[in-house]
Amino acid sequence: MMVQSKAARLRRAIIAWVTVALFVFPLYYWITVAFKNGRDIFNQPPKVFNFSPTVANFQEVFGVSFGLPRNEVLAGGGDFFMAPHLWSSVVIAVFSTILAVAIATLASYALSRIYFRGRHHFVNWVLSTRMMPPVAIAIPMFFIYKDLSLLDTYLGMILIHALMNLPLAVLMLKSFFDDIPTEIDESALIDGASRWKIFRRIIFPMAKGGVAATAVLCFVFSWTEFLFALTLTQTSLKTVPVVSSTFVTSVGTAWGNMAALGTAAMVPAFIFILLVQKQLVRGLTLGSLKQ
Amino acid sequence: MPHIEFNKITKDYGAVNVIRDLDLAVEDGHFTVLLGTSGCGKTTLLRMTAGLETITGGELTIGNQRMNEVHPRDRDIAMVFQNYALYPTMSVRENIGFSLEVAKMSKGETAKKVNEAAAVLNLTDFLDRYPRELSGGQRQRVAMGRAMVREASVFLFDEPLSNLDAKLRAHMRLEIRQLHDRLKTTTLYVTHDQIEAMTMADKIVLMKDGKIEQSGSPDDLYDRPATKYVADFIGSPAINFIHGTIEAENGTPVFASVDIRYPLAPDCAAQPGQAVICGLRPSDLEIAVTGDISATVMLAEKTGAEQNLHLKAGEQHLIVVADRAVPAPTGQSVDVRINTDRIHLFDAMTEQRI
Ligand SMILES: Nc1ncnc2c1ncn2[C@@H]1O[C@H](COP(=O)(O)OP(=O)(O)OP(=O)(O)O)[C@@H](O)[C@H]1O
Ligand SMILES: [Mg+2]
Repeated sequence: MMVQSKAARLRRAIIAWVTVALFVFPLYYWITVAFKNGRDIFNQPPKVFNFSPTVANFQEVFGVSFGLPRNEVLAGGGDFFMAPHLWSSVVIAVFSTILAVAIATLASYALSRIYFRGRHHFVNWVLSTRMMPPVAIAIPMFFIYKDLSLLDTYLGMILIHALMNLPLAVLMLKSFFDDIPTEIDESALIDGASRWKIFRRIIFPMAKGGVAATAVLCFVFSWTEFLFALTLTQTSLKTVPVVSSTFVTSVGTAWGNMAALGTAAMVPAFIFILLVQKQLVRGLTLGSLKQ
Repeated sequence: MPHIEFNKITKDYGAVNVIRDLDLAVEDGHFTVLLGTSGCGKTTLLRMTAGLETITGGELTIGNQRMNEVHPRDRDIAMVFQNYALYPTMSVRENIGFSLEVAKMSKGETAKKVNEAAAVLNLTDFLDRYPRELSGGQRQRVAMGRAMVREASVFLFDEPLSNLDAKLRAHMRLEIRQLHDRLKTTTLYVTHDQIEAMTMADKIVLMKDGKIEQSGSPDDLYDRPATKYVADFIGSPAINFIHGTIEAENGTPVFASVDIRYPLAPDCAAQPGQAVICGLRPSDLEIAVTGDISATVMLAEKTGAEQNLHLKAGEQHLIVVADRAVPAPTGQSVDVRINTDRIHLFDAMTEQRI
């Protein structure tokens, strides 16, 4: 640790706190909106702390009465109004993440370790698919999905999100594998291990942090993806980003409801990140080499 | 009996030629050291032996079997890498036992072998630690242990001691050599440190630019260096070179340079008029009352029991190893005696030994 004067430490702490506040404040404000009544939401100047909290927004969005007489809280939409969509989002995000990370881990290990003609171009090509604006393939995708009867299905959404995530996941994981010295593979190769065994027993455990980071990225992408979720679903399957847009109506935007849904939607993502963050700890390669 | 044979081995990386037509026989049970400066192709040769690098041309045999196309795991070799390449997510015990686990050896037997190796290498107390919790020397020993338990017929070492401090290096040198004396496993050991090579090797193979400059016992290379390059590489402090010509004086050849004249043995193969380089090892020179060269002391470096005297004879710089008792204040005039039968003569053009 560097020795620092008191003033320098204080300055550092202040900068750190201001930065954190800058990031956290919008989130905090959004959450307060979810707990405000209509009057407080539009109050000028904005009420940051001194509003009277209410769960009405949540009651409306999720159609549960929390013990109150039902007809007093339910504006419409019926029982558990938005809850099934939250569940759909979870299913799609979780499975598309698993699929993308599973494929990307194997693919990027191969791209990192196995030499073949034109490997370099292959990597660039993989990345280039990510450069294309997704909207360019939205309509073709719709027709393909229609022909394959994938519209409005979990499978369809899981596939498209995994597909969208693959290039970045492959590239990200490849850089993690590239950081692991090939001597470790070679040493295991001489020890008699097969490629698969080396991957499973040695390399994958070393790259766990990278896999976790990639999984978070994939999950968040799927959780927030709007374009394909909108175009490739119709009635039976809808994700949170798509349904939250229904609160923007011709007679105005239901900010309180939207914030309530958004706040609720943070919870699963938060839980997911909490689950994988244990693996995000880096420094596992430490000590394998001389330095 | 040769255990490993390199037959006209060539290695190219694309258009870059790294090793050309290399012939070498590694004797069964011997400790052979590949010595050379950085970039001369030592690691490349070792990796080709291990099967980690394809062989561009020529044939490699181990135990009389062609190995060019054989998978690393089927070559019956064990290798210690320059950076150890330990498995960081496994404990020392698992690291050492990994090859046995792969070979599906029973738990009991694996444990027995790992414990044996750990005992030999003084690692018993560290078996449950992870590589990141070990010192450099301990990591080095884990890498050795990993090679040992395989009971392979060939050990390959790639500069295993290069990152240890001087004292530990000297200690590990001894340990590796003792281990070899006990196991008698054919060993190919790469280093760029000539002291390591001199102290450990049965046979030194000195490489230069992907070719073998000279191979032989440490004494061979020290006493009869085949080229000026070898003479320069082996020995510390480095050998003195004096450029001169051969002159005939009363029928005996004499070495003559600007600053030094010295009669050579009558049976010397050098021809009168030949331009030569004379190599004189610092330890073959002696400060004497009356000597062959008179010089002035420039600097005395104390090394402990001895001192390296940097002298100037005219324009010629000379290093002499002398006992520390020899008084040598800077500026003092001294006489240097040459040990006649320890003169190394090289042709000035070809730099080959005469
Ligand atoms: N993959 C590669 N592609 C191209 N050239 C290479 C490759 N690997 C090694 N070389 C070249 O081959 C030569 C020999 O390399 P090598 O690693 O065998 O040297 P070395 O004798 O082990 O050196 P050091 O003592 O520094 O480890 C070097 O000039 C190096 O630049
Ligand atoms: Mg090397």
